[in-house]
Amino acid sequence: MRTKLACATLMLALGSGPVFAQSGEITIWSWNIAASSLKATVAGFNKQFPDVKVTVEDLGNQQTFDKTLAGCAAGGAGLPDILSIENHESEIFWSQFPDCFVDLTTLGYTDEIAAKFPDFKRTELEVDGKRYAMPWDSGPVAMFYRRDYYEKAGIDPVTIKTWDDFIAAGKKIQEANPGVTMTQADINGDAEFFRMIANEQGCGYYSSDSQSITINQPGCVTALEKVKALKDAGELIAGTWDEKIQANKAGTVATQMYGGWYEGTIRSTSPDLAGKWGVYLMPSATADGPRAANLGGSSLAITSASENKEAAWAYLNYTLGTNEGQVTMLKEFGLVPSLLSALDDPYVKAEQPYWGGQKVWVDILSTLPKVKPSRGTPFFQDADKIMVAVQLKHLNGEYADAKAALDDAANQIAGATGLPIAE
Amino acid sequence: MRLRTRTAYAFLTPYLLVFLTFWIWPIANSFWLSFLNTRSANWTFNPRMTWGRLLVDPAFANALWNTLLILVIQVPVMIALATVLAVLLNSPILKARGLFRFAFFAPVVVGEVAYAAMFRLLFNEFGIINKMLVAAGLTSIPWLSDPNAAMAVIIIALTWRWAGYNAIIILAGLQSIPEDVYEAATLDGVSKVRQFFYITLPLLKPVIILCVVISVIGTMQLFSEPFLITNRGGPGQATETLGLFLYRQGFGAFNFGYASAVAYTITALAIAISLLNLWLGKERE
Repeated sequence: MRTKLACATLMLALGSGPVFAQSGEITIWSWNIAASSLKATVAGFNKQFPDVKVTVEDLGNQQTFDKTLAGCAAGGAGLPDILSIENHESEIFWSQFPDCFVDLTTLGYTDEIAAKFPDFKRTELEVDGKRYAMPWDSGPVAMFYRRDYYEKAGIDPVTIKTWDDFIAAGKKIQEANPGVTMTQADINGDAEFFRMIANEQGCGYYSSDSQSITINQPGCVTALEKVKALKDAGELIAGTWDEKIQANKAGTVATQMYGGWYEGTIRSTSPDLAGKWGVYLMPSATADGPRAANLGGSSLAITSASENKEAAWAYLNYTLGTNEGQVTMLKEFGLVPSLLSALDDPYVKAEQPYWGGQKVWVDILSTLPKVKPSRGTPFFQDADKIMVAVQLKHLNGEYADAKAALDDAANQIAGATGLPIAE
Repeated sequence: MRLRTRTAYAFLTPYLLVFLTFWIWPIANSFWLSFLNTRSANWTFNPRMTWGRLLVDPAFANALWNTLLILVIQVPVMIALATVLAVLLNSPILKARGLFRFAFFAPVVVGEVAYAAMFRLLFNEFGIINKMLVAAGLTSIPWLSDPNAAMAVIIIALTWRWAGYNAIIILAGLQSIPEDVYEAATLDGVSKVRQFFYITLPLLKPVIILCVVISVIGTMQLFSEPFLITNRGGPGQATETLGLFLYRQGFGAFNFGYASAVAYTITALAIAISLLNLWLGKERE
């Protein structure tokens, strides 16, 4: 223990000391576009720290999770210096393997730096007084819509304030554009729509202290009611990730609701539709209700097994803690920053040609401070799998109403986790 | 203890130690685990969270149903197919017999990942199966995103992989049936078809039961195909088997207590169904 403490003090001294020339090699595990965007920041990082060699290994999303788990279970054997961890799944690591990760406060992650990120991004990462990871990207939810289809039906998206407005508009849009469906969700394999609307309404699977189940609270009931209403109105058809992209290309869908990172997906998969897509805020339950939510987003953590913790921290602080790092990732690969100061960046403020000159990043990022925390807890996967099954049953009309469906979900989650259902 | 016995055990010791450490201990330990609540760092005795949950968990019921569905449809179809294949392979008119035997056995030799990737390609939306359906004037089927179609893909893949393997076992059984039985039957004017049903099948029964038992155990533990071909039991949990459910609980949710209870249930079911098969096999003797 004493050596551990001494080490920690030493690290603190190193981390906060004046310019200490960092050197050595650091390795990062990540996936797909996220890995590519990390690679994109290395050049800028090496201008400040020329002696640190950064290697990004693209393992794929599931492999990163599985290998991190195996490495932590083996006491840190084989782990890289930096790990990419999705926020909603992160607490399973902190709760099962707290010693696998470095408390970033010991490396110089101060309160001031932490305050540069919105609360909802930090809620799962800072547990029991330790900061296990630093926020990376986020997924502020937006409605991506086809301007031409809306115009043809005479709908101005500014007038869509509630989900009922959205359904009424959808009716007109589907009439004016034969063969087009208002929106799409992966109702067979995901509860994404439910999670987004519930988060907007201030409800989640679990309470923010992660001590009880809140899935049958009023905000969540509203969310499930809206999903069912969309489905019953014939305005929501099933679609997996790939099927949505196909529908975008084929022009058979008018609106996609997703995290802000979907901007890059639309832009890169349907380049010929430039100028035809736009963005507006998600509708709410009431005309003056909240209109911000988050879907997805990850963080970076440093492993206890790392031999170059200071260099790893220097990289984190540059890539995640500066506009330069975060906006590079946005520009190159559409990764949405969670750093609040990114809003001041000239690129973020610029009109985007693909989006018909709309300043989409201002619209999307300005919702960030309004997003309410929705804690993943160590039991996210249990609740999510149960919710997908319950939602499917409810959409098929097997429950009396949304409240009954969510009461059943809450009971199942209680059985799986041993947590009580909140009053 | 006699000296010779002692020497024998001395030679066996290295193996027994490995067996104790890597087999007996984990099996015993997971039995103990199956009574613990393993949801948070301090594991406590609470069988309601494991054995109790099994009784009421719809996801477990779903995985059990999927597994039994595969068992009831796939195993009989495959064994029937394997028997027919074996009889054909045994036919004296067949040329290049060795080549055919190898060809039907080959799927087992192919690596699981490689064959799963092939099936994903064959059955994807723009794969050759859908191309052929459209060419034949039918509509294409969303094989991997429709729950029933995905189940069909799993059953087709399993049958492709294991029918030849079982055919070879049954072929060995066929070759042990003495030739003179058929000669006598032919002299008595019994048709080939009747010979198959009244001579071949009854004499093959022990071999077929062996194949059924092996297939039942294999199906109860089914993991690779739904993991790789339908992407972890998708769409939704439509092809999630007991093996996959166990993996998800143990290594997705870190719920080792519940996963252990599921493991013991799978083993118990496999033993029960196998005993039933053996008992049915003996019945008519």
